[in-house]
Amino acid sequence: MVARTLTLPIDERQIHELVIGDTVYLTGTIYTARDLAHLKIKECLERDQPLPINFQGAALFHAGPVVRKTEQGWELIVIGPTSSIRMEPYAAMVGELGVRLLIGKGGMAQASRENFQRHTQAYLQAAPGCAAQLASGIKSVRNVYWLENGMPEAMWVLEADRFGPLVVTMDCKGNSIYEEVKSRAHRVLQEIYG
Amino acid sequence: MNKYMITYDEIVDLVHKASTSISADVLELMHKALAAERQPHAKAMLQTMVDNVEIAAALDKPVCQSPGIPTVYIRFDDDAELEDLVAFIPKAVSECTGKGYLRPSIVHPLTRKNSGDNCGRGVPNMEFQYVPGQPYLEVILSSKGCGAELGNVSTILTPTTLGKDFVGLKKLVLETIVKAGGIPCPPTGIGIGIGGQMDVSAKLSRESISTRDWRDTNPDPLLAELEAELLGNINKLGLGAAGIGGDTSCLAVKMATAHTHTAICPVTINFHCWVARRFGVRMYEGGEREFLFRGGN
Repeated sequence: MVARTLTLPIDERQIHELVIGDTVYLTGTIYTARDLAHLKIKECLERDQPLPINFQGAALFHAGPVVRKTEQGWELIVIGPTSSIRMEPYAAMVGELGVRLLIGKGGMAQASRENFQRHTQAYLQAAPGCAAQLASGIKSVRNVYWLENGMPEAMWVLEADRFGPLVVTMDCKGNSIYEEVKSRAHRVLQEIYG
Repeated sequence: MNKYMITYDEIVDLVHKASTSISADVLELMHKALAAERQPHAKAMLQTMVDNVEIAAALDKPVCQSPGIPTVYIRFDDDAELEDLVAFIPKAVSECTGKGYLRPSIVHPLTRKNSGDNCGRGVPNMEFQYVPGQPYLEVILSSKGCGAELGNVSTILTPTTLGKDFVGLKKLVLETIVKAGGIPCPPTGIGIGIGGQMDVSAKLSRESISTRDWRDTNPDPLLAELEAELLGNINKLGLGAAGIGGDTSCLAVKMATAHTHTAICPVTINFHCWVARRFGVRMYEGGEREFLFRGGN
């Protein structure tokens, strides 16, 4: 088990080096995106409209924070991962955008495994329900887009400093801890109840 | 002044506590799971989880960013005057949202427009139960993350598919848990409602896992036996904390039944994340209070 800090944006070579089970911390800019942000990105692409940011080498965090507006700007209160499986329909789109890392909980499915291999991406599991702890790795809120979709669904631009711990649970070689664990669990289930 | 002397401030306190901390019984089970865990990644996850509870308390911040759908269980007797309580609950939820204790997460189901204060038609969800002769008014506020909802299953078994020794039911529970994997934020609690029609089983499933102490034993011997068997077998699956492999996938199984029709056996399986933010109070005549799920504090 290796623990390392990656600085964003990151390149293909760094993704290739990630091994299932590695512990990773992230420093640099992180973008949040849940269902409605993905829909919005899709809409922009379909209408040939420019995207507000360049996703090449980016880390996309499946999350909706709790934030507060102050005179100095947005203040992050807490942030934690949401269920990534809801974003599975966008696997190809996110790969084509150049996103390298996805952060969330619960993992993703077959389309993501294929796209992770095709576009050299990896998935990082954040500790679920640990929003106060994870917030300690976010230094500031730099910007927000699409706030009209509500606080959770807006795309928040966050500045991270050793954000984590995150565990590599899906790599760019087609491996997925979730699939391994589920296959084993299915076998056990068969043994118990037939 | 009403009989139980309910104040707005104590309802705010309930909502606040059910955001910034988790119930004492679940925290105890989490510490036990951490101590027993043999898989290093799962152990690290569990450690982060219990650390997170401490950090949230120290900083007076939400334990988890996802408040789910605030649900309140109200058990009342003949004399309870509920008007104040029913007015205080949405107001307190709205106030705590404004203060940053709850993320505004409630939207219109079709337009997806966010109401901004965690209130809306049917939210907070208030579940009323009339208990004649009960010498207090009980209010339990429960927040569970909505990742847990994604894995929930309601189905109608039949006398045949229920199976000998209820094996159809048992397989359904385990298959549902494997399918959900890490999505419901394990280690989970599992509420299982059985009987009635579909709506009854669904209500029972949430109520049983949200209002019972996760360490208790079901007073119904058949259900107590099933809960123990299922809990043991779920933890043999090896899904582990966060669903990345480990010894403890589930902290508690809580079942409740209602009689049903001879043709059917409705079943709802309801996941509860480990972040069991729920607190309750029993209000006695004259202003005396008994707190639920708070442990030592």
